Amino acid sequence: MIMGFRDKLESGNFVITAEVTPPKGSDLAQLHDDIGYLQGVVDAINVTDNQRAIMRMCPLAVSAIVKNAGCEPIMQLTCRDRNRMALQSDLLGAAGLGIENISIMTGDHPLLGDIPSAKPVYDLDSVQLLQLAGSLQAGVDFSGNALKGAPSFFVGAVSGIDLSGAKLLKFKKKIQTGARFFQTQAVYDVDMFMDFMQMASGINAELNGKQDVKQDIKIIAGIIPLKSTRMARFMNENVPGITVPEHYIERMEKGGAKEGLVIASEIVSRIRDVCNGVHIMTLGSCEKVPEIVDLIGNRPHHN
Amino acid sequence: MIISKQKPFDEILEILSGIDNIFVLGCGKCAKKLRTGGEPEVLAMRTKLSDAGKNVVGYGVKSTACTMNSWEEFLDDNDNYDEDGNKNSIKDADAILMMSCGSGLSVISCVSDIPAYPALDTTAIGGVLFDKVVSEQCVMCGQCTIDVFGGICPSTRCPKGMMNGPCGGSEDGICELGNDRECAWKNIDERLDKLHANQSLEIIQKPKDFSKPLK
Repeated sequence: MIMGFRDKLESGNFVITAEVTPPKGSDLAQLHDDIGYLQGVVDAINVTDNQRAIMRMCPLAVSAIVKNAGCEPIMQLTCRDRNRMALQSDLLGAAGLGIENISIMTGDHPLLGDIPSAKPVYDLDSVQLLQLAGSLQAGVDFSGNALKGAPSFFVGAVSGIDLSGAKLLKFKKKIQTGARFFQTQAVYDVDMFMDFMQMASGINAELNGKQDVKQDIKIIAGIIPLKSTRMARFMNENVPGITVPEHYIERMEKGGAKEGLVIASEIVSRIRDVCNGVHIMTLGSCEKVPEIVDLIGNRPHHN
Repeated sequence: MIISKQKPFDEILEILSGIDNIFVLGCGKCAKKLRTGGEPEVLAMRTKLSDAGKNVVGYGVKSTACTMNSWEEFLDDNDNYDEDGNKNSIKDADAILMMSCGSGLSVISCVSDIPAYPALDTTAIGGVLFDKVVSEQCVMCGQCTIDVFGGICPSTRCPKGMMNGPCGGSEDGICELGNDRECAWKNIDERLDKLHANQSLEIIQKPKDFSKPLK
């Protein structure tokens, strides 16, 4: 029997996740193709929520489509577009559709996307939304009203790996408010990731000691295979939290896209013993994921 | 202080399209300080409107645009002659072009039988720091907890209004929105550090109650 995402993670197995991008329109053809590439290749599929503030089909609907197609979705839910009522409605909707895995994040600001005139909602922030997801699971809504049926979720969040000061305290708050797994930003600096894992482990132990949390959090490292030196430099300059070291850029100059895959699999082999899985982001090219998973050597096997 | 800025002149002309006999009214408080609606700005607007073919029947600067105690008194106060002996009267106006914040325009509209039109856009509550105007100091949430954040309001200064910040979008202390906008949470972190009050950041801040301002 194939283990579900939550069971696999919680029983200490290494997981692989990837992403599908909802369509910007009602045409589901590309989405079905993408699901097809990922089916049987990854343990669960993230469904993004108007990522980069570009309007697309909602993650609730697309998560249901992923589930109907026989794969396990991780529904991303941001704070950008919905107030606390709509967020609760969507979470209950997810429960109603049998969607268990939720990944909560703040969300890119509308000014960065394709509808910059939209009102940025941000009624709650990610910590408050994590708390709200916890309330719903405890059977009450935001105002304390009893629910007719309490949903059950496996809740995660996102994190950078270069944390200090307020960012570090925020990471801790996410754990305190119910995040059970984290998908990190793309890892290129393995030493930095090791430091992050050590720090995360320390915080986990501290919170376990205080009985704030009962379990160990799971960390799924983000992996974005480099496609070109241009991409590497672009990310260094434009994407917060991502630093591609110069030595990888030099290798990309010599080896091109193929070298990017080699680098990705090297990073994974160096970090896999300290983390709980990898989240592969191919920036829309889901057809590349099976090759990467094979390089890593991790097709989901039956347990 | 309420921060306002002048609308582009073509927009003002668009607003006043088909309207003539205009009285230009400034405000002696925030708009005067900001140089968006004090006497020099009112005079400059009068000239621009006349050059654009509008009939400006008069101008004035109300000491406080958002305080209106008597419309009749206000009419009489603005019914006179300028230094060249020309009539300068609001009583001849079909429109008042308000060079004040939205509040001034709104208050005057409550009592005025002459329609009022905005020459300014109101953008923020701010102040003046070392002679420089600072914007974005308060968003009037009606439930102030600014002390928790060392006096830097995250609802105001963080574009996402995060109470438990920062978000993952800031890089090297610069906000996700760029333009050299400093991450408010970096500022809060540094300020609390100075005050030896970083433990505030460990507290899980609750969401704002949006019913408060309306109750």
